[in-house]
Amino acid sequence: MLANVFLKTGRDRILGVFIGGVSVALLLLAGLAIYREIDASFINQLPEFYLQLLSLPEGAGVAGLGFGAILNTIGALTLGGLAISLGSSSIAGEEANGTLGLLLANPVSRTRVLLSKAAAIMGLSLLAVLLLWGAAAITPGMLSVDMTGMMVGSLLVHLFVNTVFYGFLAMAIGAWAGSTSLASGISAGLMVIGWLAVGIFPLISELDFLTEYFPWYYYAGSQPLANGIHWGHLALLAGASLGFVAVAYVGVGRRDLKNGGTKRGVIDRLRDNPRTARLVERFAGSARVSGIVAKTASDHQALTAIVASILFYLGLLYGVFWRLIPENVLQVFQDLPEALIAAIGGADMGTAEGWFQGEMFSLTAPIALFVLTILVGTRALAGEEQKHTMGLLVASPISRRRILIQKVVAMVGLAALVGVATFLGSWSGGLIGDAGIAPIRFAATSLLLTLLGLVMGGVALVLSAAFGRTSVAAYGASLVALLSYFVFSFFPLIGGLQGWSELSPFHYYLGGSPLEMAIDWGHVGVLAALFVLLVAVAVPLFERRDLRG
Amino acid sequence: MNGNLAIETKSLTKHYGDVEALTNLDLQVRMGEVFGFLGPNGAGKTTTIRTILDLIRPTSGTASILGMDSHQKSVEIRNHIGYVPDDLSMYPNLTGRDTLTYFSNLRGGVDWSYVDQLAERLDSDLSRKIGDLSSGNRQKVGLIQAFMNKPRLLIMDEPSTGLDPLVQKEFQAMMREVAEEGRSVFLSSHTLSEVQRVADRVGIIRSGVLVEVESVQSLRSKAIRRVEFEFDGSPNSSEFETLPGVRGIELHENRAVISYDGKIDALLQAATRHHNVVDLIIEEADLEEIFLTYYRDAERDTPVKA
Repeated sequence: MLANVFLKTGRDRILGVFIGGVSVALLLLAGLAIYREIDASFINQLPEFYLQLLSLPEGAGVAGLGFGAILNTIGALTLGGLAISLGSSSIAGEEANGTLGLLLANPVSRTRVLLSKAAAIMGLSLLAVLLLWGAAAITPGMLSVDMTGMMVGSLLVHLFVNTVFYGFLAMAIGAWAGSTSLASGISAGLMVIGWLAVGIFPLISELDFLTEYFPWYYYAGSQPLANGIHWGHLALLAGASLGFVAVAYVGVGRRDLKNGGTKRGVIDRLRDNPRTARLVERFAGSARVSGIVAKTASDHQALTAIVASILFYLGLLYGVFWRLIPENVLQVFQDLPEALIAAIGGADMGTAEGWFQGEMFSLTAPIALFVLTILVGTRALAGEEQKHTMGLLVASPISRRRILIQKVVAMVGLAALVGVATFLGSWSGGLIGDAGIAPIRFAATSLLLTLLGLVMGGVALVLSAAFGRTSVAAYGASLVALLSYFVFSFFPLIGGLQGWSELSPFHYYLGGSPLEMAIDWGHVGVLAALFVLLVAVAVPLFERRDLRG
Repeated sequence: MNGNLAIETKSLTKHYGDVEALTNLDLQVRMGEVFGFLGPNGAGKTTTIRTILDLIRPTSGTASILGMDSHQKSVEIRNHIGYVPDDLSMYPNLTGRDTLTYFSNLRGGVDWSYVDQLAERLDSDLSRKIGDLSSGNRQKVGLIQAFMNKPRLLIMDEPSTGLDPLVQKEFQAMMREVAEEGRSVFLSSHTLSEVQRVADRVGIIRSGVLVEVESVQSLRSKAIRRVEFEFDGSPNSSEFETLPGVRGIELHENRAVISYDGKIDALLQAATRHHNVVDLIIEEADLEEIFLTYYRDAERDTPVKA
């Protein structure tokens, strides 16, 4: 192993891991503080299978709810995401930056570089888990929350192995394909789909067996928080992780490494083919460089297509699932105490509206859309600066204001596409699942979702315009999004803070229950005005600043 | 503001916090000339260019391009300029032609036959993606981008980075043609041989201060030359010492090597007064020597005595 490769990778990434770990720790603290305010006695009256679903040990109180919702899920997804980003940049990222050649020009073998990178992924995952462990050790004492029966240590061991699993998976794909987007896309897709599957399939007895085909099952399926470490599952995950290192070893050893360079996509091939060249040139070739709007949209077309199809299929799937979930499970949902309904996101999952809102619209759909809009907002200005293309762009006879506005137009267009896909998917899903929700309700919710996405994209744009740094814009906007969600979903549970939830943009998205009731045009207006305001703030910030790149 | 000037800066100053990147820069670039802007790394060349292009804003002072205020009229100005940034980056997933299409669309279109002509002169393959090109070939696309709208003023920051000698020569010819058509070139460089070949005048910048602006001709005439005489007898240092412009004398048996920045005529007369000259070598004064002189000056902070 190479100590300096290990240390450099660690140093490059430690801040991100630290921010991720600390955020989850803070969320845990805040979550527990809020759950403490709720009368948790109802938990003891829940049917056993529901405790299973929430992965709560019997007799768990507030702590179980907090740890279950935050560490078990948000913690694992955050850490998994960090590890995927680390893993995909390990080999493929250095290739894309053109730094791998330089690294390998030193007397070091590809194998040793690979092993050092793998060690860095493990080290950083361990650091993140230790941060969570620290938070989990301190918080309950601080808030005097009862921790009886909670095996936090076991959960964290599972969490660590799970994190390393996704990191190594991304590294292996990156090592074979040399593409960071492929590596992170496949790994993150597998992680999120697994998480959803493990949450939903057990509700439907015919599909229950399918959960075992998703790696997430071996992390969460045995419910380590309640049942302790499941060594068999851990061994499977760890074994697969080692397998990924071996796969990466073979992949990186046999391939011609790239140094910068580009991919050849479908469009490039069609353009080279004399039969299709003309048509493709017309629609995809020169069309995408016809102006700033087209170029910006085209730069994000792949991600937009992915986000739009994810939301389309999710809408469809949840409709199908709605039909498949047995009556008795729905009955349980319907009998849940109000406080618990509030604690798990405010949706009454016993109704079709609540099911769609709870499973899809409250969290998954916003996250998917935020990924897109925040990225577009971030890259719009800061991205061009960091890639050193801003100089040439601004040297064109176009004012900074117009550059910004045209990027915003592209953002609105892309978000609208995702909104339409969400509508079409959930509407069709509703028809298939016989949910009995009027199409106009899905349309209204999708419209509000689109506007909420634009607001977060607008936040990224403002930060991007003010600082010209992609990391500030992306992290800042994500933080705002997280806080907004938090304020919206938790403040209403606390007596004195109820009114404050109106400060959150989420309030204007789901606060009016758009799947159940007629759309509140005032809410549409608030979100739209907020977005326009953010753009209006971004313009002078961008116009006044010294640009880089 | 003077309409016959391509670039005019008045007391242009730029501070980054405590760092003075530019201090009271007064610069005039005329129409119809190639102006070489010389200085070592970190002297303030790029800061000057980015300031006059309105990418960054001066702490104080003003700049005007083609008689227009560089900030107030920045959009109007950009209709008339071509720009090659240092450390040129473009969109790696676009082909050369896509890139040029994009920038030409932002300019409201260009004459494509001229673009093809430029591509041919620079031997540039526009069908390949920028990300797959070597840095020299990428630079060619950047140059075409700057030349393609026949701008009245070309502002180029280290433009010949990575170009092979043949293409460099063609590029230099292109710059001369621009000047001959009455347009201007502002060429920031530390490639002295290039500046020497194409520039009419040069400005030398050191630590953010413009230390000299002169024509290449007069700079060269002022330069210290190494003049080596071979005599039919042993020369004596007293024969040269009194001559104005002599900066140093080395004597070896029949040879004398004189560092000299005066008129050649006078030196020849002094040399032939006592001996016959058997052989004579006068090294061409080049900007490199002048350039180094300026920077040695800076290091020692005293005038050079060779």
